[in-house]
Amino acid sequence: MFVLPPPPPRYTIPVAYQAGAANGMAVPVIETNNTITHPEAGCPLQVGEGTYTLKDDLLLATPPPHPSEAPIVNPNPLATVPSPPTSGVKLSLVSLDPRKKPPTFLKTAVVAPQFGDGNPALAPPAPPAKEKDALKRRKPKNNIIKSSSSFVSRVITHETSAKRLSDRDQNGVFAFANINRAFQWLDLNSAQKEDHLTKVLFTKAHMLCHDINELTKTVSHLDIVMGSSAGDIIWYEPMSQKYARINKNGVINNSPVTHIKWLPGSENLFLASHANGVLVVYDKEKEDALFTPEAAAHPEKDTSKLPLETLKSVNSKNQKSNPIALWKLANQKISQFSFSPDQRHLAVVLEDGSLRLMDYLKEEVLDIFRSYYGGLICVCWSPDGKYIVTGGQDDLLTIWSFPERKIVARCQGHNSWVSAVAFDPWRCDQKTYRFGSVGDDCRLLLWDFSVGMLHRPRAHHQNTARHRSSIVVPGSQSALRNRADSGGLRLRSDSDRTEKFDGALDAVENHPVEPRSRTALLPPIMSKVVGEDPICWLGFQNDCIMTSSLEGHIRTWDRPSDSVVHHDHRL
Amino acid sequence: MKGLFGIGSRGNGASSAPSPAALPVKKDPQLPQITPLEKRLQDMGSIRGDGSDKFFGMENYGNTCYCNSILQCLYYSVPFREAVINYPQRTPLESLEATLAQNLRFPNPNAHLEVEAQAAKQKAQAATSPSARQAGVPTNQPQKPEDKDSPEYKKKVALQTLPILETKNNANSYGMSESLFTSLKDIFESLVGSQSRIGVIRPQQFLDVLRREHEMFRTAMHQDAHEFLNLLLNEVVSNVEAEATKQSFTEKSLPPTESVDSLSGTVTPSSGSKSPNTTRWVHELFEGTLTSETKCLTCEKVSQRDEVFLDLSVDLEQHSSVTSCLRKFSAEEMLCERNKFHCDNCGGLQEAEKRMKIKRLPRVLALHLKRFKYTEDLQRLQKLFHRVVYPYHLRLFNTTDDAEDPDRLYELYAVVVHIGGGPYHGHYVAIIKTEDRGWLLFDDELVEPVDKNYVRNFFGDRPGLACAYVLFYQETTLEAVLREQAQEDQASSTAPAENGEAGKINGYPLSPGLSHIHSASQVPSDDTNHMNGIQRVPTAPQMSTHHEAPELFSSPQPIQSPQPPLPPIPDEQPPSLSPKKSDVQSRKERAKEEKERKALEKEREKAEKERERTEKQRRREADLQQARQLMNERREAEDIRRAIEASKADTAKNDGSELGPENGSPRKLSFLRRGSRSLSQRLSKDKEPRVSTSDLPPVPTPVPEAPHQEGLEPPKPPVPPKDNPSLSNPKMASRNSPPAAKDNKSEKAGRWRSLSLKKS
Repeated sequence: MFVLPPPPPRYTIPVAYQAGAANGMAVPVIETNNTITHPEAGCPLQVGEGTYTLKDDLLLATPPPHPSEAPIVNPNPLATVPSPPTSGVKLSLVSLDPRKKPPTFLKTAVVAPQFGDGNPALAPPAPPAKEKDALKRRKPKNNIIKSSSSFVSRVITHETSAKRLSDRDQNGVFAFANINRAFQWLDLNSAQKEDHLTKVLFTKAHMLCHDINELTKTVSHLDIVMGSSAGDIIWYEPMSQKYARINKNGVINNSPVTHIKWLPGSENLFLASHANGVLVVYDKEKEDALFTPEAAAHPEKDTSKLPLETLKSVNSKNQKSNPIALWKLANQKISQFSFSPDQRHLAVVLEDGSLRLMDYLKEEVLDIFRSYYGGLICVCWSPDGKYIVTGGQDDLLTIWSFPERKIVARCQGHNSWVSAVAFDPWRCDQKTYRFGSVGDDCRLLLWDFSVGMLHRPRAHHQNTARHRSSIVVPGSQSALRNRADSGGLRLRSDSDRTEKFDGALDAVENHPVEPRSRTALLPPIMSKVVGEDPICWLGFQNDCIMTSSLEGHIRTWDRPSDSVVHHDHRL
Repeated sequence: MKGLFGIGSRGNGASSAPSPAALPVKKDPQLPQITPLEKRLQDMGSIRGDGSDKFFGMENYGNTCYCNSILQCLYYSVPFREAVINYPQRTPLESLEATLAQNLRFPNPNAHLEVEAQAAKQKAQAATSPSARQAGVPTNQPQKPEDKDSPEYKKKVALQTLPILETKNNANSYGMSESLFTSLKDIFESLVGSQSRIGVIRPQQFLDVLRREHEMFRTAMHQDAHEFLNLLLNEVVSNVEAEATKQSFTEKSLPPTESVDSLSGTVTPSSGSKSPNTTRWVHELFEGTLTSETKCLTCEKVSQRDEVFLDLSVDLEQHSSVTSCLRKFSAEEMLCERNKFHCDNCGGLQEAEKRMKIKRLPRVLALHLKRFKYTEDLQRLQKLFHRVVYPYHLRLFNTTDDAEDPDRLYELYAVVVHIGGGPYHGHYVAIIKTEDRGWLLFDDELVEPVDKNYVRNFFGDRPGLACAYVLFYQETTLEAVLREQAQEDQASSTAPAENGEAGKINGYPLSPGLSHIHSASQVPSDDTNHMNGIQRVPTAPQMSTHHEAPELFSSPQPIQSPQPPLPPIPDEQPPSLSPKKSDVQSRKERAKEEKERKALEKEREKAEKERERTEKQRRREADLQQARQLMNERREAEDIRRAIEASKADTAKNDGSELGPENGSPRKLSFLRRGSRSLSQRLSKDKEPRVSTSDLPPVPTPVPEAPHQEGLEPPKPPVPPKDNPSLSNPKMASRNSPPAAKDNKSEKAGRWRSLSLKKS
């Protein structure tokens, strides 16, 4: 046998591929290596606590198109062929170092029940794991390197990766990043951090999102799930190079996976949002089965009118195969979702501009908020679970109060759509909050807000502020809110579903869009262009801020000295 | 006459027929497949009276895509369409149909006879029995091994198979004299009155009037769609106002004639409900008010000035959003140094701070993205390929505190896309959200349904040089948006099958080459070639339409412009330009390009000669009526030569009427004098400065000169270095902006401008 040479550069602008590379960047034709630069001028971020200095800029190599990828040469810019979905580079970071754990602000330990706790069908089968296996996690079945799957193109393991793995600091940070059709495993604490440990190339599908299970991580085991543009989900264990394919060929849902997260506190379950507005809970251990919506418990009702259509409930008796639960929110794309720190609630943002707050344990929607205009793109919770921040196509970040169920402020500062938002738990306390945001304007913005500041009404509208006022408003809104709250607290057995169903429509509160004149406007404390291509991910670590961009630039800023340490002690 | 309609709507059979009728047709490879548009239009029920169910392509007469795309956008602006149809009165549907019977015709009947006698027979039957018509009479399908997915091919098929709608001057029946407004109304009425839902409309009469009254559109050069939009809106305003003044004058002084009577009778009820002032409906829709607050830094006095606008022109930045561009425009700006402000209070030039905010929000917000920037290094306009994102919905942040409804919600309903590397050539298409049939792509003759996401392909960062150029937002409410989203939900959940098929339909690989992208830089004679290239059975009507166009465009030029006009165009046309829109291209290998081009040049020479002959003949030709008759004859004619002559006669007619008011310029002046409203005023002010100082510094209003030089030879060489780097390197594009910004500043000092939002 001989090895085939790499394919010649047959396609000048393969549209499908180009869409991945995006922004008209040159399309590589041969496999290239990641590069790292240490910009001398730097890109300092100056804020009150000091200056964040750019440590390095790691550029992930965009892989060449797969030889089998259809040579779509379509120079017609008006071609109505939909281009396959893709996303910029996003990172999943993991470290075993307890010091790297973000501080927690919850007064009490999380006591939320496990998802599907009440369903005997979901009770873990009598644990086959013997004592000696306690630390030995279950791995997926297939070896990804030897895989003959048409889904996985090939796996490139760096020649020194075995050595680097064994030599490394166990507490170092691993990063997993998607770029185009590749998925890279990087060791950020390595001296050659630009060299990937492993690079998995998929045939056609692009990985759009991924997540690492914080609960099951060990020195020798990492559970990663990733969602692809084809709808397929890969459960991947990088240490053993094993993988399993879930929702194979989109058997459960063939729409692209837009976001994926392990259910907090669960070893096996994860939640994936699909572009057709469906949220699905999968079990990594379970096999797929062709999905048919389970008969609604109440066929006489028009379920499509509900804010959430339960096509399969977690309480279903049939839990032999995936999905565990499947909810249809809308036919609009779900952009992102985020679990509350208390692990009871879920905030979901959609392309239709709505932010939907769910009690996912009860499978119900509590509140629907709307963006000022345009779709919402990203969402996150404050570390104490009191606030939710969304970013969207109105170029705004919007702060919502969860306990009050209302908008608290709009944050103006981006020049284009906001693509990612994250709180910096190391700079938050119970009174002041720090969060960051990045967007299509290539900017990184940092924001500070404090409880007192947020409730300051805008001066010249004090008189007209009928609805908006201090926190203690016994108005209609809060009355409704209380109802919603109590609804959330009401303990209902599952046999009680009729009642819940009847109440479902009224229980959901549809919040109107607050006019500009009645909403506080917050300016950023720092705004900086950090790259030349749209930034699509942002993460805070105990020692740095990281961003990644559409074309693959991963930038790391060191925190100013002492800015966190002091904080860490206190907590 | 009804029979004619039957024929006319034949191409539409599938849309009115339930799908089962269409299905068997699909299986026969010889028979045409149902087009994506027809599919989208299934189950539409009976023809509506408001025109919302008409989806016509527009014939391109060579570089008239700027006009086509704007006209389509305006037609699907519901309130605008309603207003045009209702002013001064709504023509009864019956009389519309009667007129249309003459205008709507089934294309290429002779081709049918010769190519497919059988089909023609069926067609005749179809004309009499509607059931036969619905049974799926085959559309004329040329049996050439062409790339059937190329836009060129589709356009050709559309022209050959769909009903062709001619517009005629009906100004008299409106009780108005012929103007741009009446010809626009003619088009709209024809569409509303058409019994067919799909087809191709020929906006020739409209173009005739446009060219007669506006010198700059007389060339066959590429035109700026935004400028055209602005001119058209202003023209409509002044036409309507002038007419209203005249009417009220005649009403007072003369015993009311019947037409005036009916006019005054209908005006008030029909449009009165829409707007307090019957002549102000354009203002009511498109007009907004800007307030510029200038604060003198010496005496602290704030002076305000209100200005009205019909559309907003915003400067672009790399990686920005429409929201941000609008906000930037309202950002504070220092007037200092050469830009000082004359303060009436302190009496002298002082430093000042200036802000522009929107005081009154328009119902329809037309946003012009200034993609064409003057760059000093190159001494020419350059196209900016900045990525500028635009959301489906919008609110304005830059309103004054006292603005009414400052949180007004807008929805995007139309996007005019410019495709091409520079300002002097390229192609325009429109992507429009129709009332109940989703988003459609209007590419001249071609109308295709597209996915909602398709609208987002034109942010400017994708390959293919296609960028959104004018965005139309219309006011809406959150309730309406929610309702629509719910409908979208239902539609997509009930029709998963349709989605799949739509994917298939859409999933075509496109023609090789950027064939139609540069269509706009085409020279008229290209069309001649285009015609010959089609190699279909020579039939009179079709031929003549193609033939007539180039001559029409070019003939006025030799007469009026002393500059060396057309001839140089073809000669200096660099080879790289040849792809064009030519159908030839789509049929043949790219390798044959050279040959094609040579043939093309010969063709051009021929066209030149023909043009000369045309001129001579035109002088002889005097009688308009005769010309019209000739046109009718031509319709039936089967002989090419005869068709050509007829077209010459037609040209003659147009030229004749054009020569009357002497080269348009006095006419234009009188129009300006007539225009009494603020808008016309703005136009007059705007007209010169707009063109000469800002966007188009090297292109003074009498376009022929500058664009000729620019459009022919010079723009070509810079194009590759211009586009390609910016394509492969987004940084390049951003580098362009600094000089552009500079340009803005310097221009600002000179003049006052209400339209364009200028910010550095």
